Amino acid sequence: MEQFIRLDDPTSLALFIPWTILVGLALAAFAPLLHQFAGRATGYILALLPLGLTGFFGLFFRSVTVGDAYHTSQAWAPSLGLNLSFTLDGLSLLFALLVNGMGALVLVYARDYLSGHPQLGRFYAFLLLFMASMLGLVLAGNLLALFVFWELTSLSSYFLIGFNHDRPQARASALQALLVTGGGGLALMAGLLLLGQVGGSFEIRELLARGDQIQAHSLYGPALILILLGAFTKSAQFPFHFWLPGAMEAPTPVSAYLHSATMVKAGVYLLARLSPALGGTELWTVSVSAVGGITMAVGAWLAIVQTDLKRILAYSTISSLGLLVLLLGLGGELAVTGAIAFLLGHALYKGALFQVAGSIDHSTGTRDATRLSGLGRLMPITAISAGIAAISMAGLPPLFGFIAKETTYEAMLHAPFRSTVLAAAVAANALLFAVAAAVGIRPFFGKLLTTPHHPHEAPLGMWIGPAVLGGLSLLLGCLPGYGADQIVRSASQSVLGSDVGAHLALWHGVNTAFLLSVATIAGGLGLYALRGKFLGLKDQWGSQFQFGPAAWYGWALTGMNRLAVAQTQALQSGYLRFYLMITLASATGLVGYSLLGRGKLAATLNWTDLSFFEASLAVLMLLAIFSGVRAKSRLAAITSLGVVGYCVSLIFVAFGAPDLAMTQFLVETLTVILFVLVFYHLPESRIVSSVSARVRDAGLAIATGSLMTALVLLATPEQYPSISDYFAENSVSGGHGRNIVNVILVDFRGLDTMGEVTVLSVAAVGVYGLLKLRRRPSEPREPENTDAHQRETSTTDEHQFSGVSSSLILQTAARFLLPLLLLFSLFLLLRGHNQPGGGFSGGLVAAAGFILYGIAFGAREVRRALPENLQALIGSGLVIALSSGVLALFFGLPLMTGLWGKLDLPGLGVLDVGTPVIFDIGVYLAVIGVTLSIILPLAEE
Amino acid sequence: MSNILLVLPLLIPLATAAASLLAWRWTSLQRVFAVTGAVALLGSGIALLAMVWREGICVTQAGDWPAPFGITLVADVFSAVMVVLAGIVGLATVIFSLGSIDRMREAFGYYPLVHALLLGVCGAFLTGDLFNLYVWFEVMLMASFVLLALGGERPQLYGSIKYVTLNLVSSAMFLAAIGILYGIAGTLNMADLAVRLNGLDNPALITAIGMLFFVAFGIKAAVFPLFFWLPASYHTPPGAISALFAGLLTKVGVYSLIRVFTLIFVQEASYTHLLILVVSGLTMVTGVLGAVAQQEFRRVLSFHIVSQIGYMTMGLGLAGLASSSTLARLALAGSIFYIMHHIIVKTNLFFVSSVARRLCGTFELKRQGGLYATQPLLTLLFLIPAFSLAGMPPLSGFFAKLSLIKAGLAAEEYVISATALAVGLLTLFSMTKIWAEAFWKPLPASSEQDAQPLTTSQRKLLFVPIGCLAVLTLCIGLGAEPVFSVATRAADQLLERDEYIRAVLEPTP
Amino acid sequence: MSTLLAIVTGCLYAAGIYMMLRRSLFKLILGLGFLSHGANLMIFTVGGLTRGRAPIIEAGETVPLQPTADPLPQALILTAIVIGFAVAAYSLALFHRVNQTFGSDDPDELRVHDQ
Repeated sequence: MEQFIRLDDPTSLALFIPWTILVGLALAAFAPLLHQFAGRATGYILALLPLGLTGFFGLFFRSVTVGDAYHTSQAWAPSLGLNLSFTLDGLSLLFALLVNGMGALVLVYARDYLSGHPQLGRFYAFLLLFMASMLGLVLAGNLLALFVFWELTSLSSYFLIGFNHDRPQARASALQALLVTGGGGLALMAGLLLLGQVGGSFEIRELLARGDQIQAHSLYGPALILILLGAFTKSAQFPFHFWLPGAMEAPTPVSAYLHSATMVKAGVYLLARLSPALGGTELWTVSVSAVGGITMAVGAWLAIVQTDLKRILAYSTISSLGLLVLLLGLGGELAVTGAIAFLLGHALYKGALFQVAGSIDHSTGTRDATRLSGLGRLMPITAISAGIAAISMAGLPPLFGFIAKETTYEAMLHAPFRSTVLAAAVAANALLFAVAAAVGIRPFFGKLLTTPHHPHEAPLGMWIGPAVLGGLSLLLGCLPGYGADQIVRSASQSVLGSDVGAHLALWHGVNTAFLLSVATIAGGLGLYALRGKFLGLKDQWGSQFQFGPAAWYGWALTGMNRLAVAQTQALQSGYLRFYLMITLASATGLVGYSLLGRGKLAATLNWTDLSFFEASLAVLMLLAIFSGVRAKSRLAAITSLGVVGYCVSLIFVAFGAPDLAMTQFLVETLTVILFVLVFYHLPESRIVSSVSARVRDAGLAIATGSLMTALVLLATPEQYPSISDYFAENSVSGGHGRNIVNVILVDFRGLDTMGEVTVLSVAAVGVYGLLKLRRRPSEPREPENTDAHQRETSTTDEHQFSGVSSSLILQTAARFLLPLLLLFSLFLLLRGHNQPGGGFSGGLVAAAGFILYGIAFGAREVRRALPENLQALIGSGLVIALSSGVLALFFGLPLMTGLWGKLDLPGLGVLDVGTPVIFDIGVYLAVIGVTLSIILPLAEE
Repeated sequence: MSNILLVLPLLIPLATAAASLLAWRWTSLQRVFAVTGAVALLGSGIALLAMVWREGICVTQAGDWPAPFGITLVADVFSAVMVVLAGIVGLATVIFSLGSIDRMREAFGYYPLVHALLLGVCGAFLTGDLFNLYVWFEVMLMASFVLLALGGERPQLYGSIKYVTLNLVSSAMFLAAIGILYGIAGTLNMADLAVRLNGLDNPALITAIGMLFFVAFGIKAAVFPLFFWLPASYHTPPGAISALFAGLLTKVGVYSLIRVFTLIFVQEASYTHLLILVVSGLTMVTGVLGAVAQQEFRRVLSFHIVSQIGYMTMGLGLAGLASSSTLARLALAGSIFYIMHHIIVKTNLFFVSSVARRLCGTFELKRQGGLYATQPLLTLLFLIPAFSLAGMPPLSGFFAKLSLIKAGLAAEEYVISATALAVGLLTLFSMTKIWAEAFWKPLPASSEQDAQPLTTSQRKLLFVPIGCLAVLTLCIGLGAEPVFSVATRAADQLLERDEYIRAVLEPTP
Repeated sequence: MSTLLAIVTGCLYAAGIYMMLRRSLFKLILGLGFLSHGANLMIFTVGGLTRGRAPIIEAGETVPLQPTADPLPQALILTAIVIGFAVAAYSLALFHRVNQTFGSDDPDELRVHDQ
């Protein structure tokens, strides 16, 4: 952007198009802050931005209206196809001008309408967020970028509808709008992704050029439907229209801006934008124009039976949106031009009428049309602008609304199934005529009725908007050649891709279209006269509204909630057994099916090599298992578990695993002690589940068990040699140890042992916490700066090992055994590298010594003999083990690489000393600490 | 260099935990250790990622024993990213804990436990050895057991029993699966397993073992129908702990699923990965319906975790079924992106929930309220992760969803794509429920006396991590391209099995 | 023998699971014990059984003279046993605390809080 920016050089100005959005977003972020400082002036200050932007886009008017278009592109997430590319052509320009122009007026309007509201700052923020997103939406040149802004408009609309968040109704309406448009948004997302996939690009420009290729593709249908869903929900087409009246919960400036002039037109914009790529097919014409036509009729009818000003306007907006969609569905030059013209006209008068409704509400305190009359004298400016807007809405010359209506009629005269379309259009327009009169004229004439507040003219900020918009309707109506014609035609051109012949003009002479207008007006007058009767009808038909789409939404919501609750109660039932059952059943089913359900397998059974000893061991285990399952008393069950454990360790002995055997033996002993400590005192629980339950559980258990057996039998070693041979070869040469298992534990796979010791330590901390960390009910939930340890240690005074009577023999034995066992443990530790033993079993033996001592003299005595807090012992063990592993790093070697040296001890001879040995010592210490800090607290309970 | 950087993520938390045990009586010292350790862990993670990004897959052979005989530590982009995320969550949690964890818990080893958990998590991410993975799983699991029950309040005990039991079942299956796998292949090194299993002609048995792993990891990852432990327990411990869990634990399961089902069990992808896809869909739906049914802040979030695990595994399933490599890459990258986004956002939402709990005195949405009016900052900090979770553009969640659904549609898997979209709407719905109840709705008079105002120091300690994570969420969204390119590179490495195998098995000069 | 042990393993799993499904936390923990025995035995069996010869290299030798039992599964099981012990200890303590707090052994009384 080195070159000098010249205001009369649109190409260089075009570079700023992305900034128009960014500035808006930035301003939105700072609006609340600004409001804190600038106070009441904020509305005006903020309005400068859209005002300036209107001017900025105005600079493009001349060049765009002669058919130029400007493109910029910025990569955002290109690998997903998302680029921030923007296009400014006729259609975008029209919308950009609308968004900013209306934006400025609405900001000023809101300043007075919400003056003094505590959250006005946030209101500005959301409004600006919407403005920027809407601008991005209409300028986006990339499908996904368009979608991003699309969602942002839905989001900001959600916050604005729920602005009066204390009102449950506001919250509900906000949610309804979000769900409907958001749901449509998701469909749209899928549709756009499909479209991009089909068209081979997400750049709209390229897609529009590939219309035929797209429409020929098999995915065209689904993509179209999904995109239409998005557009219809956003533009409140039947049957999704119901969220729009609900959105009237929003403050009136929001209704005037989002829900009549801009956001609800996003769907229409999308249809227009994509029609070159998607339009023209039978599917398009039928579905789009049908939905549009129905919406037009339904909306107009529902509008006439309302009494609340804003609801009347909301439904009439729905009807107008329907008309727009209908025209785009019909397609063709006239229809598109008509649609664009009508869109412009509608934005002008409907925006004005909403603001008028707001002013009336603001000054009288009611929006009930039946209670409003005679306001003209008290609020003349509002009255005049309202009148002009209403006449434009009614489609009377010389206002722009008239031109718009004429063009639409002209278009329909040349459309497929014209008679139906025309009939519907005339009826709808007649209804809207009556509505216009009821909203824009009626309240200002007649005699004044009493209202909550005494009426007064609206403040400047609130009458300026309607005045400007009304003025525009008049101006464009009288002099369509100055601006309106150009913009409408260039917008239509960018939709059609071809030049537009027809020009907008106020007077086409007496032709069919004019006659239709006359008919409309006549009908409208008639309907207005009968209006009172319709209001009556609404009450009779009030019940009928329970069956409308709004009700479907309600049912869907409650249904979904019910389903959710039912499902959750069924699955997340809270029964642990149920959880276990499902988990195990799905595991067994899945593995079993994958294994057996799909093809044949061969398992090799060998009963031949049974030795009597082993066989009897196995049988003993089976018996123990069985008795364990059947056991009535806890002690019996514990015993059988112990028996199984000891049998396992005997099997280890039989098959050449002395280390395993020793460890298993020690661990089993400790486990049994723990079980006894915990369960000794507890009463037996006598819950017996029903036979059916037991059968069911047994079935599951047996199924899983046999699956495991099958797996073991099938998992016969295949052609590959085990990696273990390597250990046998390198144990001595590399690991300096002859007990291969131990070398594996402290060297080859030392990392495993590191983790294992950590697990132990954590468990120790956990047990300690579970048993010692107690909050007495009296204490506050979160105690102040009291030292928890006082409390903690205070619980550990006078203790005996529960239930175990300490006899004199035992005490002497213990006094004599403790040193012996400690010595033995050291012996195990040191020889471990070459003979069965090692840090772990050594540690357990040492711990056993202390436990025995404790049994004899009570836990207190043991604690005397031990460091004050065992955690420190564990910690030191971990630190030693860790540092022995880390040492290697300083020599540039990988973690836990063994470093060896010779140590000549007098008497013992030359010893191999290496980091793995030190590692084992760390393990030894940690294990002592862990075992004791698990057993002692339990014992002290 | 790799010798050092690969082991730091293990050494730092382990050293921190050990040192804290030594300093058992001096909790203030433990706090210092905890913070320093967390910062160091994050730093080492970033350094590791940088190295992997520069030099490709990095390897160190613990004990200097050549693979497959020793234990190999491997870092590819995926695992390095996960380590970084663990570091981020760890640091955020520690800081949040300083302001929210009570003295009692601190005095009973809270901080060393947190670091032990981080050790297990990082170990699981970095190990290249199946049994070693089991060990790290147990470290993580034991630490989580203890943290979950620490304090021994009634709901915690309720939750713990279920959590412990179901996770132990998973461990038992994991162990059995490893044993059988060793039985038939004679090795434990994952790369070596990948090679050897390719040479075996016994698809049924291998797939069955694969399913055993799928269930074992599936329980950890909380997929349908194995997720019961999660909603039963995550709402019970103090906020900081459940945030830590929510951010990391399930993701370790997902990580392991992705690892073994891209590296080892790829023989019968048309069967296994289709199954993964089906499970993903069911997980999404049941999870989000669960969230819809909840009326308590943290329960809603917990069920959302389940639902979103479905999205993460969806990418894995798609990748396995994909017809083209570009498609597989897109799908897997989507999963990884989703994981990155989800860890940050979910941790943050649990933080916010615990702040809301203090300000309203309860987790029950019905009795919460008024935060929108009184807490503008908190409101903003909730909106960012909340709507990111709901997949609102331009936040991180949108891109995560976008890439997955793009892949789904391109793969012509319309059912799962439609499911993912619909679930997105329900997610939005249940997030707005929290918003409308806790923020928009005025605070019920009944709750006013329970509300505990925050001291300024607490405020800082609680809001700083929340704010940083929120900013991170914004960055992931606005900077989607670089983040996504990281995810894509990770996906590439996962799909290029040979690259991994070579890096591990070929001796480095 | 491996066949017999395979059956024993299966029974251990079955017994463990059956006990875990009972309405008693005590049996639940006991069941977990059986389960871990089962897993260890399974690894041991699948790893291949060799009678007698422990994987210990005779003094003065650098490699075992005749083939020994496979040391690797032994190392794995040893780790598994230790971890199993840690788990058992912790779950026992947890049970103890639960029992003190609720005075009940029935897991069904813990269902209150799930939804």
